[in-house]
Amino acid sequence: MARREPSLSTRLIVLISVVLTLGAAALTTAAWYYARAAANEAYDRLLVGAAYQMAEAVNVQGGTLTVELPVSAFELLALSDRDRIFYKIVDARGRTLTGYGNLATPESDAPALGSPDVQDGKFKGAAVRVAKTARYFSDPSVQGRVDVVVAQTTEARTALARELTLRAVALIAAMSALALGGAVFAIRYALRPIGRVGAALRDRDPHDVTPVTVSTPRELRPFVSATNEFIARLRSRMDLMQQFIADAAHQIRTPLTALKAQVELLSRQTMDPQGRQHLRRVQERVDQLSRLANQLLSHAMVNHRAGAVPLEPVDVVEIVRRAIREAVPDTLDRDILTALELPPLPVEVIADAISLKEAVKNVIDNAVRHGAATQLTLRVREQPGMVEIEVEDDGPGIPPELWSQVTERFGSSSPNGSGLGLSIAADVLTAHGGNLNFRDRNEDGFAVIMRLPSRMRQNR
Amino acid sequence: MKLRTTLLHLPVVGLCLLWALILAMAGTAHAEVPKTFPALQTEHEVLSVHAATDLSAMEPLIRDFQILNPNTRVEFTEYVTNDLYAAAAKACQDGSALGDVLLSSSVDQLVKLANDGCARDVRSPETVMAPRWANWRNEVFGFTFEPVVFVYNREKVPAEDVPSTHLELADLLRLKPEAYRGRVGTYDIRQSGIGYLLAFNDSQQTTTTYGRLLESLGRAQAVVRCCTGEILDELEAGRILIGYNMLASYAYARVRAGADLGIVMPADYTLVLSRGAMVPSQARNANAAARFVSYLLSARGQEVAQRDGFFFGFGGETPPGIEGASSIVQTGVARPITISPALLAVQDDERRRRFIADWSRSLVEMSPE
Repeated sequence: MARREPSLSTRLIVLISVVLTLGAAALTTAAWYYARAAANEAYDRLLVGAAYQMAEAVNVQGGTLTVELPVSAFELLALSDRDRIFYKIVDARGRTLTGYGNLATPESDAPALGSPDVQDGKFKGAAVRVAKTARYFSDPSVQGRVDVVVAQTTEARTALARELTLRAVALIAAMSALALGGAVFAIRYALRPIGRVGAALRDRDPHDVTPVTVSTPRELRPFVSATNEFIARLRSRMDLMQQFIADAAHQIRTPLTALKAQVELLSRQTMDPQGRQHLRRVQERVDQLSRLANQLLSHAMVNHRAGAVPLEPVDVVEIVRRAIREAVPDTLDRDILTALELPPLPVEVIADAISLKEAVKNVIDNAVRHGAATQLTLRVREQPGMVEIEVEDDGPGIPPELWSQVTERFGSSSPNGSGLGLSIAADVLTAHGGNLNFRDRNEDGFAVIMRLPSRMRQNR
Repeated sequence: MKLRTTLLHLPVVGLCLLWALILAMAGTAHAEVPKTFPALQTEHEVLSVHAATDLSAMEPLIRDFQILNPNTRVEFTEYVTNDLYAAAAKACQDGSALGDVLLSSSVDQLVKLANDGCARDVRSPETVMAPRWANWRNEVFGFTFEPVVFVYNREKVPAEDVPSTHLELADLLRLKPEAYRGRVGTYDIRQSGIGYLLAFNDSQQTTTTYGRLLESLGRAQAVVRCCTGEILDELEAGRILIGYNMLASYAYARVRAGADLGIVMPADYTLVLSRGAMVPSQARNANAAARFVSYLLSARGQEVAQRDGFFFGFGGETPPGIEGASSIVQTGVARPITISPALLAVQDDERRRRFIADWSRSLVEMSPE
């Protein structure tokens, strides 16, 4: 038994979610890096500004270096209001003029004119950013470089970076949710043709062996064309079978005709009444057999044509005329009055003329053989949206409880009927979108009514 | 009752401060023997407060705190600001504990300690409510609002002489040198951290006025003392007529106690000091310390402080009997000393050395004293 596969949309949604999650994680990481860089840059400027101000406060007075640190330098740094500040000012000989003597001077060989150096560091157990700037003195009494080192803890920049990242994450989350929602919608929309193809296959008539013609996206075409290929194979198989039945019926007809001729010859011979009775029975059976062969042939032909031959406008009146001509046998053991009540003008329907004629013939044949005592009437009537062909006879008719049965193959159990005639007619009408009905006996007699959709209705 | 306690304590405080001074000069920072407030009920814990703040101002607050925490014994050790700072800095460096709460009017020193990582952060609903300018890192909190004022002896200073601005004080000393020579008192900023902080802030406000004032004080042979208390004593006694850069809270306590002193809020600008509280990182009983700091900042603590301890509130409410601007906050005269790392500039060794040297040159070396 095949393992149950997850649905396409589940797979797609899971895959897209994974991709979106990974993407969001990557973006969040990137956002954190950018935010940290931005926060560092912003606060580094304050740090460097403070370092410059402190450097500015170093002066030579009376031959010695003096420092009077400006409050504004500290106020600048106090803008990041939770951060601690460390600084030192070191003269050319490495003596700390003021500040935290144990604050490490960052090692760098940045040139004096270059931008001041800002680095990460650690002081008193706390992470700090350290800026270093230098001032050169070439006073007669004081010469050399004075280093100003300013360090600040990183709480404010971490907080800023965190806030920036959080905002970015909110945006990323919103974007991902939007993308996922869009993906779900798109997947549903994209997978809809699969459902459509499925519905088209499911809703097909079991006898329909025409190719599936639902328009599909390119991706589904292999599937549909494989299905169509399968249908074509099935159809050729069915055709083969019909062909076989037709061939068989045809092959049987030839010996039957010979057999009939022989029986005919035999009947001209004199023989005792016992023998003549046997011969008449043989004759009846041969007739029955030849009719069965004809109907099998007719059935095979009708089935073959259904769905295979394009329908075209045909004149129902003309079809009925031809049918009656062909159907009423030349030799009948009784006289039947045949009446035609046909409209003067052609009545067009969209149909396969041969199948339709075959259907009408079978209904007439059925009436002649089993019903009509003296009277057979054919009518063609135009009703709103449909055309009715009515075959009425004054025979005993079919009791209503058998109506559904007689249209099935071999469903009638009359002694000399094949049971195929009405079922052939019903098949043809169904294939044309019409149906076969009965009208119960009244003063005019019993009627079989064939209904076809009119051409007007089909065009609509 | 209140009057008696104050009077009883004064000589003791004075003596002890002198003793502390001597010891400080000898190179070691020592405080007096701690004053103990026994637990009201069974003792469960001890809270050690090391303070550069008058006990008389703190006592109502400690007693009220004990009502809320009846199982806490409070030990109160008093220092001069510089000694407290030296002791706390040393303790921090050694990793040893010095008390559970440090209180100091010299907030720049507390900021320096916090900057050096010697403070523990305290978070509670009360600390969040503290004004922004009086809270740094949730480690140093300003819990009082103390204008810095001129105090004069009402009996001996004629009404027309009473200065209302810093410039008027400078001019008064210049115009009437005979009357005021040796009779103006202020902090000795070499000994007092708060004195240094106030003088530094004066110099930052208006450089020219500060220069003239310093010069006038020097010429008038101003008397310099370690502490507000000593100057107030001499003011009461009439040996000093005008005190400059006095803490209004201490002065007002004297007025309430019956001293005939006048208090002037300078109309050009009035510095406002917010006394700092800090929990050292090595505090043994950090829990109780956090509760104490929260209490100081709470509405109840503020009310007690305003009623019995420091007399002024964060809204700038002024008790009756103060001269000068009635509401220094609304008129924009108030210059609160913001508790922020900007105070590190005040604590810079080199800058401090030079500032004190300049001050000494103008004030001490010029006077024949």
